[in-house]
Amino acid sequence: MISPADQAVIGQALMSTAREMGAKLYRSAFSPIVRDGKDASTGIMDASGAAVAQSDELIPVLVGSLSITLRHCMAACPPERLEEGDFYITNHPYRGAHHLQDILIFMPIFVEQRIIGYAAAVAHHLDIGGGAPGLNSSATDLYGEGLIIPPARWNHRRDWLEGNLRGMIAANIRVPEQTIGDIESQFAACFTGIARVRELCARHGTATVEAAMAGQIAYVERRLRAAIRDLPDGTYIGEDYVDDDGISAEPLLIRATVTIAGDTLAVDFTGTCPQVRTHLNAPYASVVSGTLAALKSFLSGDDVPFNEGAARAVTITVPEGTLLNPRFPAPVRARMEATYRAYDAVLKALGNAIPERAVATGFDSTTSFCLTQLKEGRYRVFIELRDGGYGASSENDGCDAVAGPLSNCTNVPVEAADADYPFFRIEEYRLLPGTGGAGRHRGGNGSLRRYRILEEGVRLAIYCDRFRVAAEGQAGGEAGALGGCRVLRGAAVIEVRSKDDLVLRAGDVIEMWTGGGGGHGPKSERPAALREADARLAGLPSTA
Amino acid sequence: MRAVGIEIGGTFTDLVSIGPEGVRVAKVPSTPAAPDAAAFDALAAAGIAPDAMEEFVHGSTVATNAVLERRGARLALLVTEGFRDVLLLGRQDKLQLFNLRYKKPAPLVERADSLDVPERMLADGTAERGFDAEAFAPRLAAFLAAGNYGAVAICLLNAYANPAHEVALADLVRRLAPGLPVTASHEVTQEFREYERASTTALSAYVQPVLDAYLGRMEARLAEGGFTGAFSVMQSNGGRVPATAMRRNAASALLSGPAAGVMGAVRQAGRSGVRDIITLDVGGTSADVALIANGRPELAREARVDGLVVQMPMLDITTVGAGGGSIAWVDEGGMLRVGPRSAGAVPGPACYGRGGTRPTLTDAQVIAGRIPAGKKLAGGLTMDGAAARAAYAPLAAQLGLSVEATAESVIRIAVAHVVAAVRLVSTERGRDPRDHVLVPFGGAGPLLAAAVAEELGMARVLVPPGAGVLSAYGLLAADHSLLAARTRRRTINAGAAAEAMAAIAEMRAELEARFDAHGVTGTRRLDVSLDMRLIGQAFEIAVPLTAEHFDEADLLAAFNAAHERIYRMPVDTRRAVEIVSYRVGLHVTREELPGLAGPPRLTAPVHGPLLIEDSTASLWVPPGWAASEDAAGNLLLTRDA
Repeated sequence: MISPADQAVIGQALMSTAREMGAKLYRSAFSPIVRDGKDASTGIMDASGAAVAQSDELIPVLVGSLSITLRHCMAACPPERLEEGDFYITNHPYRGAHHLQDILIFMPIFVEQRIIGYAAAVAHHLDIGGGAPGLNSSATDLYGEGLIIPPARWNHRRDWLEGNLRGMIAANIRVPEQTIGDIESQFAACFTGIARVRELCARHGTATVEAAMAGQIAYVERRLRAAIRDLPDGTYIGEDYVDDDGISAEPLLIRATVTIAGDTLAVDFTGTCPQVRTHLNAPYASVVSGTLAALKSFLSGDDVPFNEGAARAVTITVPEGTLLNPRFPAPVRARMEATYRAYDAVLKALGNAIPERAVATGFDSTTSFCLTQLKEGRYRVFIELRDGGYGASSENDGCDAVAGPLSNCTNVPVEAADADYPFFRIEEYRLLPGTGGAGRHRGGNGSLRRYRILEEGVRLAIYCDRFRVAAEGQAGGEAGALGGCRVLRGAAVIEVRSKDDLVLRAGDVIEMWTGGGGGHGPKSERPAALREADARLAGLPSTA
Repeated sequence: MRAVGIEIGGTFTDLVSIGPEGVRVAKVPSTPAAPDAAAFDALAAAGIAPDAMEEFVHGSTVATNAVLERRGARLALLVTEGFRDVLLLGRQDKLQLFNLRYKKPAPLVERADSLDVPERMLADGTAERGFDAEAFAPRLAAFLAAGNYGAVAICLLNAYANPAHEVALADLVRRLAPGLPVTASHEVTQEFREYERASTTALSAYVQPVLDAYLGRMEARLAEGGFTGAFSVMQSNGGRVPATAMRRNAASALLSGPAAGVMGAVRQAGRSGVRDIITLDVGGTSADVALIANGRPELAREARVDGLVVQMPMLDITTVGAGGGSIAWVDEGGMLRVGPRSAGAVPGPACYGRGGTRPTLTDAQVIAGRIPAGKKLAGGLTMDGAAARAAYAPLAAQLGLSVEATAESVIRIAVAHVVAAVRLVSTERGRDPRDHVLVPFGGAGPLLAAAVAEELGMARVLVPPGAGVLSAYGLLAADHSLLAARTRRRTINAGAAAEAMAAIAEMRAELEARFDAHGVTGTRRLDVSLDMRLIGQAFEIAVPLTAEHFDEADLLAAFNAAHERIYRMPVDTRRAVEIVSYRVGLHVTREELPGLAGPPRLTAPVHGPLLIEDSTASLWVPPGWAASEDAAGNLLLTRDA
């Protein structure tokens, strides 16, 4: 039995280890998605492969699935065969990864010749090869999406420092100096984690540290079960739609059935539409992460750390062959939109369980905007992830123009784009008042960015959502406005779909705007002070 | 010659005077409604008349509080056309990841109070669209006339590269609205990233009238008392500037509160020849930690005040919610927690006997005997041991532990919070805490210090004398400092070193001119650090440069060394490296400054467990540690071999 102080002290040390690993990773990263978007995860796992502590500064979408991936690695090469300096690596979405861009690395932590856990570091990489730079929306299977790294065991000195694996990966990707540099940051993060856990063992004793790891998982499970117990027993359904698969105009249904019985909670995605031909499919690990993030947000907020304990209190069922658990080798690159809808559907079901705590649906989309130029044999890739409005609640308006709930990507400063990219210029960036759904509390507003293309040979690739299906209101609140994108070419206006790809010309102007979150309560009940604030926000001296 | 430092804190206002008769200290209760009143109370308590001071140095949280309480000027914001929402949109990131009801920090400027300005500068400093002041004047005049503004902030795109449009626009505002204070971004900071620069500019413009009025009032009252000496104030960068300069440009006053203590610790440790330190200031609600290498504090590039970004070189101080008033509790999962809620100054810990009933860290220290029950504190408080035990009884019952064991557990957890903060400023930045000496101060720092050192494997703790008034001493110990940062991106290839040396010389000349204008005399010291990165990396690292003349190879070598220290990985030397920004500091150090030493606390070395007390703080020497006092009056704690 571990003492309360040991539990708290070592638990805190493990959390700060995960955070320190994360800071090492994102501060030294090259990929803007890691360094500005914090699209990465770091953590400490126990010897069974269960996540004990994950950095809480990095984005939510990678929480909760590290264990799934590590266990696939342990199955591919049993831990008994691991030696000091070995590591597991994979990016295989059908072996617990999310999409090929996310490379996961696990390094065993040996203490007294025994593995007591693993240091884990995941990062989203800018390019992983495949049919097109950054994003190949025409891929019909996983092979077209890039280099597949199956779960396997390698040795850091022999296979990485001396070159074999490193050279093989570098040869298959377009911006090797960046991707290889970021993998090296992942190793640095793992080495930091290993050093810290060893220090803890030296200070507190290995057995105490192992007990604290188990205690930390049990703690999170208790917190989550306590929160579930407060919900009324029953079965509740939530539904939402992805706009379409990028080819047809058919909305893609996601259905979540949440069953609460005592302190257990089950989520079943039966009724979700079949998998699609394009890369809108979300692999199982992404759905687990999105579901656990929704549960954590609804049940416990930021106070409860995240680890395997959350997964133990919850069962998640996803029928094979659906959009949320496709069969190999369906493409999955743009898995975030379906993951967001799974997140939304779970939140809606929870809102149905306890309406007074329900929050209206947010814009909740990955708005991936990518401009590329191939010039003199070198690719230049500009990628940014945009904002959207949050849903309103019974207490307050939804937050305006903020990164989606499963991410926390910062925008690219206009002055950084000005300095780094000669082939386009950002001409406008403004809030769009009125795009949040009306209600007693309004949904958060979206924003607009306008880009002028200055050179030839530029391509636009976007994958977004909620260009067709709006974020719903709650309790009589109205839906948020849709997002959209268009290209102005002289007098012509070219409408861009939410998943699209087109060649641009110098002089083109692209406008891309994000939509709002749903409102909460009837708009007739909106208090006068808030109406006044709306008027001030919208009614402005303008330059037009 | 008499120099006086007065530091106004949340609970107490401290004074340190250095004059012909030696060092004098005073501590009086703060007067939050009119903070300057306590400063004069302190002077009276110390028996010092204003006309007896040649020099007066002041530290306060007036600027920070103006933001926290939103008491600043009604602001107008002028920005490049198309980007008026820069403060509302920010960087679009969230400070809480799992909060469905998340709210952004309230901006200082309403949307209707921002105006688009027709102009566009580019990153290379050329104008894509010129600024026509005459054509814009009527619109600006109408906007300013309608708004009843107390101050104007200007932030135009790429003004860091060329401020010409900002200069012309500021002139126009002054012409149209004489007397209205104007702050242009290039006067505040010349770094790139428009949101951060706009936010800093708005904050500066917002607090400037408040600080101007406050310092003006203080100057007037000092003058009434016959004061004719030099009046300077503390900045967040750890240096001070003449009050007249701060009244015009207030940005460096934001977050200046904890800086003085760090500078006091640096100076006092330096008297014992200790130059690599980690400072630990434990107050009522929080603990502040900073790392100093070779006598020079590390500088952060930016920080947040109430969620709003300030982009300024400032002391890199990390704060965690572990203070004497932090409340211990058991959460729904059965975990023993300490903080973040605090009993604050009122009612304060249960042992203060002012009505507090929740178990706090200070109560745990009383139960553990680290603060003797019955001890009298400043302000007339007596430590009530029974009240502390009563507050802990329910918590102990809940955990199934004795009151003593519960108190020890709470102290251990508080230590763990501080340890995590030390990790943030040390290992996370590639510094090994074991290469540093821990220097605790503040009322509660010296009680926790040895345990923190023990957890981190640090072998030595240095406790300055007068640890409870070290911040006021730090005001006197601080350099006169001016810091400037400027973005000028440049790849390291032939000619880069010459360009860098020219940029540094130019920035130095500007700072020298400002020192001349302020009438600051004395030997000037130059500090230069370049923000550099591998091309493609977004996080620049600070690369200190010591030589005045250097070539491209020197630049690369300095970068490689810094990179390897932080990331523990050698740099791939095939990759191109660039300079992003220059940071130049000019300092004048006070040459003669006696130490803070009072009567000796120890006459011979002692071994723990032992409690040592002086008039301003208590110090705990745990078992396995020894303490001795050195010639500088510092107590040095070392682990027994």
